[in-house]
Amino acid sequence: MSEQPPNTPGSQDAPRRRDASDEPSLEWLGELKSDADDPELQPVDPAVTQAFEAIVDEDDPAPGGGSALFGPADDPSSPSPAQGEGEQPFVPGAAGEPTFAPRTTDPSFASGGSDPRSTGSQGTGASPSYNGQPPAGDAPAFDAPAFDAPGSRAALSGTGPIPSLESQQSAAAAQAAASAASEAPAGAPERDFAKALVAEGTSASGNPTMTNPDLAQAVRNAQAASGQHAAPAGEGSGQNALPAFPEVPGHQPSQPSQSASGEQGRPPEPRRDDPFASPSADPDAGLAALAQLAGAGNAGRARGRHSGPQPSVGMGTGPQTSVGHGTGPQPSVGTGTGPQPAVGHGTGPQPAVGTGTGPQPAVGSGTAPQPIVGSGTGPQPAVGSGTGPQPAVGRETGPQPPVGPGTGPQPAVGPGTGPQPAVGTGTGPQPAVGRGTGPQPSVGPGPGTGPQPAVPPVEDAPLGATAASAASAAAAELGGTDTVAAAAATPERPQPYAELGMKDEEYQRVRDILGRRPTAAELAIYSVMWSEHCSYKSSKVHLRQFGEKAPKTDALLVGMGENAGVVDIGQGWAVTFKVESHNHPSYVEPYQGAATGVGGIVRDIMSMGARPIAVMDSLRFGPADAPDTQRVLPGVVAGVGGYGNSLGLPNIGGETVFDACYAQNPLVNALCVGLMKHDDIKRAVAPGPGNRVILFGAGTGPDGIGGASVLASATFDDESQQKRPSVQVGDPFMEKLLIECCLELFQEDLVVGIQDLGAAGVSCATTELAAAGTGGMHVELDSVPLRDATLRPEEILMSESQERMMAVVEPGKVDRFMEICARWEIPATVIGAVTDTGRLVMTWRGETIVDIPPGTAADEGPVYERPYAPPADLGTLQSDTPGRLTRPSTGDELRRTVLWLAGSPNLAGKTWVTSQYDRYVLGNTVLAMPEDAGVVRIDDESGLGIALSLDGNGRYTRLDPYSGAQLALSEAYRNVATTGARPLAVTNCLNFGSPEDPGVMWQFARAVEGLADACRYLGVPVTGGNVSFYNQTGTTPINPTPVIGVLGVHDDVRRRVNMSLTSDGATIALLGETREEFGGSEWAHVVYGHLGGLPPLVDLQAEAALASVLVAAVREGLLTAAHDLSDGGLSQTLVESCLRGGLGARITLPGDPFVSLFSESVARAMVAVRPGGEGRLAALCEAAGVPVSQIGVAGGDTLNVTGRGPDGDQQELFSIPLHELRESHERNLPSYSD
Amino acid sequence: MDAARVGIITFPGSLDDRDAARAVRLAGAEPVTLWHGDHDLRGVDAVVLPGGFSYGDYLRAGAIARFAPLMGELVDAAKGGLPVLGICNGFQVLCESHLLPGALLPNAGLHFVCRDQRLRVQNADTAWTTEYAEGQELVIPIKNRDGRYAADRATLEELAANGRIVARYVDLNPNGSLDDIAGICNEAGNVVGLMPHPEHAVESLTGPSTDGLGFFTSIVKRLVNA
Repeated sequence: MSEQPPNTPGSQDAPRRRDASDEPSLEWLGELKSDADDPELQPVDPAVTQAFEAIVDEDDPAPGGGSALFGPADDPSSPSPAQGEGEQPFVPGAAGEPTFAPRTTDPSFASGGSDPRSTGSQGTGASPSYNGQPPAGDAPAFDAPAFDAPGSRAALSGTGPIPSLESQQSAAAAQAAASAASEAPAGAPERDFAKALVAEGTSASGNPTMTNPDLAQAVRNAQAASGQHAAPAGEGSGQNALPAFPEVPGHQPSQPSQSASGEQGRPPEPRRDDPFASPSADPDAGLAALAQLAGAGNAGRARGRHSGPQPSVGMGTGPQTSVGHGTGPQPSVGTGTGPQPAVGHGTGPQPAVGTGTGPQPAVGSGTAPQPIVGSGTGPQPAVGSGTGPQPAVGRETGPQPPVGPGTGPQPAVGPGTGPQPAVGTGTGPQPAVGRGTGPQPSVGPGPGTGPQPAVPPVEDAPLGATAASAASAAAAELGGTDTVAAAAATPERPQPYAELGMKDEEYQRVRDILGRRPTAAELAIYSVMWSEHCSYKSSKVHLRQFGEKAPKTDALLVGMGENAGVVDIGQGWAVTFKVESHNHPSYVEPYQGAATGVGGIVRDIMSMGARPIAVMDSLRFGPADAPDTQRVLPGVVAGVGGYGNSLGLPNIGGETVFDACYAQNPLVNALCVGLMKHDDIKRAVAPGPGNRVILFGAGTGPDGIGGASVLASATFDDESQQKRPSVQVGDPFMEKLLIECCLELFQEDLVVGIQDLGAAGVSCATTELAAAGTGGMHVELDSVPLRDATLRPEEILMSESQERMMAVVEPGKVDRFMEICARWEIPATVIGAVTDTGRLVMTWRGETIVDIPPGTAADEGPVYERPYAPPADLGTLQSDTPGRLTRPSTGDELRRTVLWLAGSPNLAGKTWVTSQYDRYVLGNTVLAMPEDAGVVRIDDESGLGIALSLDGNGRYTRLDPYSGAQLALSEAYRNVATTGARPLAVTNCLNFGSPEDPGVMWQFARAVEGLADACRYLGVPVTGGNVSFYNQTGTTPINPTPVIGVLGVHDDVRRRVNMSLTSDGATIALLGETREEFGGSEWAHVVYGHLGGLPPLVDLQAEAALASVLVAAVREGLLTAAHDLSDGGLSQTLVESCLRGGLGARITLPGDPFVSLFSESVARAMVAVRPGGEGRLAALCEAAGVPVSQIGVAGGDTLNVTGRGPDGDQQELFSIPLHELRESHERNLPSYSD
Repeated sequence: MDAARVGIITFPGSLDDRDAARAVRLAGAEPVTLWHGDHDLRGVDAVVLPGGFSYGDYLRAGAIARFAPLMGELVDAAKGGLPVLGICNGFQVLCESHLLPGALLPNAGLHFVCRDQRLRVQNADTAWTTEYAEGQELVIPIKNRDGRYAADRATLEELAANGRIVARYVDLNPNGSLDDIAGICNEAGNVVGLMPHPEHAVESLTGPSTDGLGFFTSIVKRLVNA
């Protein structure tokens, strides 16, 4: 049963407080923006993905088969066949080396996207884990077994107390082996794992070598059989990179090791080139690069030195063997290429290196790739087309360099590439990023790259070179400008629509609408406006539920449909808030990607006529200790801070979460909330013929072209495009001026309509403004102020230059408008006027280049009802409950678990992150992270204020999307109420994999349904949101991660309550009911790397009741502290409240101590009661039906816990001095700071 | 008796100007908005250069703002004794303007740092610190990217010798400032530069303390008594 009946939103007695009606319209859907398909940012074109998927399917004989799931689960096993010798290639780690500990990439888990560690840890899990000591006290949190970064592990290996992986693993292995026979089915995987471990241990010493190409084939077959590699890239993927590149002769193993090592491990491109195995050096290179990034590199490098002779490697010489493994990729290279050496080095090998194989040295040689690693800039490469690695590759892969037209393949190609391309060309990374992008395809066919060709076959395959050349030829003929007249006269001219991501039928529809072929500029407009990013064509049919199921409310002043919904918070004030993703750009270029993500959402809020007053950020990264995470995280945090701080917006909260599934798909979701008076609400409309259209803010440059805009300039100007970054660069100073300028403009009522320029730039702003107004607009495109005078009209339309706004102004107010802009030194230019023709007409140097009905681009994009079905592995995942995991039972075990969790990446203090954000500016921040919700004062006199919380849980959602989305909403709702605020409205950012994957689409559909149902039940309408698809690497999507923001209102923020325990002697009470719920829990995740079973039961009625009690209790001043229970359960809540307040507590646990401490049941909160308020609180709880029990008293400088001991009697279970707790909780992230 | 009038200069990119105005108001004075592009100090009795990122901190923090039209008037007035408090970016502008010696470099950790910082008042005789006692410890937020005070040794010695170090960081030096310097003043004591933000510690609801209010009440009391 995957659904939970309880959730069914009945209209029952949902807490209702509003009844007026203001049903959100459905049109809002069109307003949603997603960065899903920034073409350049996406790794793989959907078409490509499909092709690969198709391929995979073919290869995968027994998909989903139980055996497949559990059998060879571990990579190790799969390779074994290959190894005729019986040795396991992977085994990287010789017996002694934990570093290469076998990560099992259990397919079953894989599907779950669980962390690589899961494997490792699982074994561990059993009691063994407790044998070791919790990382907490003794070792840096990151060293905890949970995180097996290669490096760290190695380091740990020596340490006794610390539960290093190895120790745990070996223990686990032993244990598992011992109990294997008796294990229940659920245990099967572990058994295999254990065996694998044992095997590895033995084989490790002598490295097997897969010299023979046949072996590779064998491996491939084996993998296919197991069904694993279908998703090698996938979840577990981190570890088994191999599968992805089956071709590689003899290498595969090696990678796994590396991958294993870096949890993030996923090979950048999960594509299966096998079929087309044409030996393209690229893949390997790419892997190598990744590997390095992954961190495997380090180890590899070190060793590498010894063995210079790569060549040898290539050959398949004995040693190579070893190499081979490591280098899975190389082989591929090797295959056809003499050059392998070249390739080899950088590439595959390194990983290999990691393994510890002799040959690797070759790699170590310091080949191009290493540089990448070395510098620590793995990703950076992204930027440069010519990154270190490439060179190496380069030779063999001519294509890459030529990012341009011929490059499509780069992804594949790039040795150094993987990522590089991404940036440079927009290619490399893409794999990682996304697919969906038209552009790549275009590239695809490119010469040079063997594998890619494979792609073309796909249905959506880009026109490729042919189209591109044709288009450019056509453009050349025209002398550059494709006018409406020319379009009418040359109906048969081929157009690169496929390169722009348009399907045949979409292109045909444009022709039908226009009655002719579109001009280049029109094609540009339609391609971006109809992209997933702007049109929500895949999600629309589901998102409609937010409107259809919206609870009746009078709190919504503006429903969905505008840039952001507007919520009435009383006293004449209104707020607007929204969260958006900037995931893909942030992986490619962390700082600018994150910075412009903040900039974009802030402009969205400004577009409503509001003054932005705060921001929040929800961040998700790969494993905390993965090298690539250490590249991405600091950049993202600095970007979020750098931009937000410079705007003078306090950052009041958010999340920082680590999970292997986000290794190459970090999630960067930024929220902004703005404030306005009811009368100041602005809309994105352009009414009134004759009114002027003014573009103001930064000049328009070539940045971002190729971002959401797919118009590859390869079609127009190859050279110039090559130098252009596809990630926009932010200028927070300009945005700050823009904010102040806009507020003055609003104050003087100078604008009729306003729109920010985000994705699709001028195309989007003009079509949307025109479509929402009287339907017509005339724009002189030449008047757009440029930073680069060589930009062509198509590029101007596509540019995503930041810090720009478009306003519609009455003629009589233009002068004043310009004066204010001048005062703020903001360039402003009249570029056109509103008309009543119903047409959007644009001219360029006197000629008409666009003449379309704007509504057809803005609102009438294609809508797809994509097929969906539960992921094949869901049943397996759900049946693998955490019940089989050994639990801590003695006081000492519980104590260590408390410390362990407190210091684990997801639960540890995030000061390193949040101290980079200004939480004070504007002087109204009442509560900020790490509090449950951010609270901002709105009115100094009355104390009116708002509370905001942003929450998500990808593990829960993976286990059950319907419940997962509801659980995220529940938590955010609870967090807001915990401060004493009444939850009022909801925003969301839905982060998912590829909608073309039926499994992902199913997750999406279920999550949306769950969220819509829960919002209706709780009476909180969704005011807007954002969808980000294509967050996956290869065929492995991230855990579905809906991030939900809940806005609440405080009638008087002076009554708010925070989480700090500060009142000595105060009674500590627990509200809500605790059940034994560990599916998807932090405990299972941290201690065992386990993801399985079902998430906690959703109980919206209990959630609403709890909220009512909290709000009432805070209003009556009954509480001195309140903190919700969520990730990590009561244990984590106690840790945080004690540390935040600097006061200990004596707690007596009711029932099973383990369950009491770590269960993650919903609808619970811990409160400290003001002396004398106990009775009243009890009465409130009784009235609301909320269970309440006193569990302790605040005081002292230790966290002292009493409860039922192993033998059944009540006893003191453990006591932890606050300084020790603090040590565990706070020393984690600082590893990034130095 | 009219309330003292304290001007707050807004540069393009100033962020904490409204907060400074709030602090001035809470201290009992009248905040007066001053625009960087004007040439008129509007007859204010004292001036606060607020925090923020004037001109995006491009080129160098405070380096461009220093050339703002109004700065010409301000420098002259300050030399004539007008009380001036530069907070964070304002401190940077004062150094760039040479009203105060030294410079503020990027933080030692190269990160923006926002934390509740403990300080010790070293000089309670400046125009802006008379409400404190020498040696008094305060907790005031610090939030900046370029807060590492630097000067040559001779200057540091001169500052220390003449009581021109207004406050020092205690417990932890958040940015690597030489001699733990959090703030300094000119020889006359009317111009004070401070990296921490006292305007964010004026209300218990929104600040870690109300320890910062003293900087503003000091000037108000001085002006009223004058």
